[in-house]
Amino acid sequence: MFPDFTERPGLLFVVATLLPLASFLVVFLSFGLWALFRPYRDERDGRAELYNIFGGDHPGRLPAFIALGAIVLAFLCSAAGAISFFVDQGNYHHLTEEVEELAKKPARERDPEKRAELLKELEEKKEALTKTEIEFNRHWSGSFDWIRLRPTTAADMDSGTVLAVGFRIDNLNAVMFVMVTFVASLIHLFSIGYMSEELHPTVEDHHVHTEEGHLHRRGRFGRFFLFLSLFCFSMLNLILADNLFQVFLSWELVGICSFLLIGFYYERQSASDAANKAFITNRVGDAGFILGLLIIWTSLGTFNFEEIFRRIRSPEHRADEPAQLAHQFVRASGEASSPGETTRTLTVDPTGSEIILFPREAEHGEGLSPGDTVKVAANPKARQFGTLPYWMLVAAGLGVFLGCVGKSAQFPLQVWLPDAMEGPTPVSALIHAATMVAAGVYLVGRCYPLFAPEALLVIAYTGGITLFVAATIAVVMTDIKKVLAYSTVSQLGYMMLALGVGGWTAGLLHLLTHAFFKALLFLGSGSVIYGCHHEQDMTKMGGLYPKMKITALTMLVGVLAIAGIPLFSGWYSKDSILAQALGFTLIHKEHLLLFVLPLVTAGLTTFYMFRMWYLTFAGTPRDHHVYDHATESPWLMTAPLVALAVCSVAVAWGWPIWDAKASWLEHQLHHAQPHSVVADFGHVFDEGENFEWVQFRDHVNERLKAHEYHEVAGSMALGVVLLGIVLASALYLYRWLDPDEALQQAPGLHRFLAHKWYFDELYSVVLVRPALAVAHAFKWFDLTVIDGIIHGVARSTVQISRWDGRFDNLVVDGMVNLVARVTYRIGASMRGVQTGSLRSYVLFLVLAAVGLFVILSYFVTIVFAG
Amino acid sequence: MSEPGLNHFLILGALLFTCGVVCMATKRNAIGVLMGVELVLNGATVNFVGFARFNPTFEIEGQIFALFVIVLAAAEAAVALAIVLNFYNNHLTVDVDTAEDLKG
Repeated sequence: MFPDFTERPGLLFVVATLLPLASFLVVFLSFGLWALFRPYRDERDGRAELYNIFGGDHPGRLPAFIALGAIVLAFLCSAAGAISFFVDQGNYHHLTEEVEELAKKPARERDPEKRAELLKELEEKKEALTKTEIEFNRHWSGSFDWIRLRPTTAADMDSGTVLAVGFRIDNLNAVMFVMVTFVASLIHLFSIGYMSEELHPTVEDHHVHTEEGHLHRRGRFGRFFLFLSLFCFSMLNLILADNLFQVFLSWELVGICSFLLIGFYYERQSASDAANKAFITNRVGDAGFILGLLIIWTSLGTFNFEEIFRRIRSPEHRADEPAQLAHQFVRASGEASSPGETTRTLTVDPTGSEIILFPREAEHGEGLSPGDTVKVAANPKARQFGTLPYWMLVAAGLGVFLGCVGKSAQFPLQVWLPDAMEGPTPVSALIHAATMVAAGVYLVGRCYPLFAPEALLVIAYTGGITLFVAATIAVVMTDIKKVLAYSTVSQLGYMMLALGVGGWTAGLLHLLTHAFFKALLFLGSGSVIYGCHHEQDMTKMGGLYPKMKITALTMLVGVLAIAGIPLFSGWYSKDSILAQALGFTLIHKEHLLLFVLPLVTAGLTTFYMFRMWYLTFAGTPRDHHVYDHATESPWLMTAPLVALAVCSVAVAWGWPIWDAKASWLEHQLHHAQPHSVVADFGHVFDEGENFEWVQFRDHVNERLKAHEYHEVAGSMALGVVLLGIVLASALYLYRWLDPDEALQQAPGLHRFLAHKWYFDELYSVVLVRPALAVAHAFKWFDLTVIDGIIHGVARSTVQISRWDGRFDNLVVDGMVNLVARVTYRIGASMRGVQTGSLRSYVLFLVLAAVGLFVILSYFVTIVFAG
Repeated sequence: MSEPGLNHFLILGALLFTCGVVCMATKRNAIGVLMGVELVLNGATVNFVGFARFNPTFEIEGQIFALFVIVLAAAEAAVALAIVLNFYNNHLTVDVDTAEDLKG
């Protein structure tokens, strides 16, 4: 029954994924049975007993414990899986390095005998390496065909008609698994405390006004954990997937879970609106995603990540010597095929309008160099060379990225995330830290080799704009959760920007570190809100530090981490991002904005985070009602805070910890980095002190510059961050300047920012109102024209049937009645014969007999006479 | 006086039949009607016996049919008398002219 984890340790991750699903199903089924037996709860028989067994009138804590147990177990599984993965991978890398070392030796050896010996040894080692590689793949990947769209024979296997479900573990998703399950476990734990109000049989919702006062409803404790479990399963499945199709399914599941959880208090108009907004905004992104998927499916015939990348990117020439175009898109140009020709010849050309698709099983040595020619069949199979228009590749990348824009709330689809604050605070933490928004960034990282340079530039600028816009809005927000929401949008912008400028590890490292400190900050704000009895407005707080010390201190850790104070986890990731952006702009001077925006925003981030902390915890209380009732939250809620605070500090540490480039987590991520990153942004062979590098484009490359200017970027960022702290302290801690007066100086700017750059208004004017106008026009058309036609048809049908009825009544019924009447008349006239008198019957008999006799004798006479 | 031939039998049968029919048609008393019926049947019996006597191919059959008619007459009389009794119970008379329930 239990899979053999020593044989296939990758299944640990599969189990970790399925555990939350199991928890969801168990709770879901028991709720179903509960609802089934609810009508009989007043009966005095077994059905009422069953009703009580499945929950009864009082919402119980059991669903929470099931969900918590599942996610904690999932955490343990993924932690065990990750550890054994790192060990296994370490062995594998060790062997690879040995082979590489050995491969260099024979060339140096002069003695032919020794050289032969070395070559023999090398062969043996290579064999061992291949064996280890197969073993490694069997350990950490697997899949089964879920849907075959066509009954395929072995010969037909090429045509890409299989949708598979599978997993493939690498450093990225191993680390992501541990992060998601860990953060989600703590959020589950926190939620048991935070959602305890929902345990009452009736809950009063102060935000919903009905005619009889506030709304009273049943407590929905179990339902919350039900959704939470499904959310975790969807996210884990998304990370686990080895193909885009599985990702897409989980993607939509994540969407629906966020809809359910944001709209958890669905009786509130604002909550149900926010849930709709999140869902619909994501639909816009998903439309792009589907377009991308369609392009990939029709042109490549597979959704498997590895296979996609292997087809669109060039393989290496030989194992020990990279080809000039290894892991790059190979563009080519050639004549359009004339009819009748079955093949066409293309020439490799850096500005060609098509890219070469490589055979699926392309081996080392099938790489291409500039000037090479390739023969392409008219209808290439997956095992042959093919072509794809270059613009289509760009479109596929942009389509997938549009999906990520929606999920990760990037400009211009960022509007849903702040509204999503309507959900319970632990949900906000989950969405912002571990699940929903992380999915977009994760997918960009996962699909990285798919993005053409143009698409990457779009990603970088989208991230750049997003991070700046969101940070400026966060500066003026007064709702504690809104500040955090905009800060999430801004940080996600950082990640996108990093990915766009080639900082693959930097962006994903920031995703991981951000998950911890943003979960910490959100849970901290949840603790504040809980302690202040659902007060979220920071202008009514202040001076809460003595009342809730643990919350205040842990949140301060989160603030320092997000600001990028050295030695906190945010420092490592943010410095990497800025270094990468600097390296990129040093090469591409025209994209200066891509460094200036994140640098300025680093200061803004620090400013608004400190502003938030000061407004909440420092100074004098501004609202004594709130202050007097404020209390520290129970240990169930503060314990996760402490755990997250520890992680927020230490999660990215490496040795030495004061070296921003030595982060252990970053090194782990580095192992999973696609080769295309190096191909697109420069090649660094040896990341030691003296690295050699091969230039593909210019004499210098982005990655090298980033490496070189890491400290420069870091110190610039530190300067800006310190400026932000000083400014925030001056305004909100020491009150040297009155913030209100400062706002008076630029009322227009403040209004502009407070209205979130008028994005909602803009969309309302540009999209919502026209959509409504069109809808109204269609409604009018529907009501007058279409309904008119239908009513006309109906009316004429009624008229026709009326005529038909008349014909039926008069003619058809008349004939039938006539027959009946005639029959009746005949009967009536004949009844006189039946006198009932015995004697008359006898008389008739006799007369008839005599009559017969006469007739017979007449005939008999004729016969005899004749 | 010669031997009686077939014609004599037939004439006797016809006479009995005619008497029976006339009796059925004229009597108002149900018992009388029944008597008429007996006469009609006896007329038929005489015919059968006559044919049995003078037609050699019909010798056994004629006799058997005569016996059948006698048995049938007895059965019929029993049933008819039962009907008459019931009729009397219902109408306190055996006048067949009052039996008009089957009038159309």
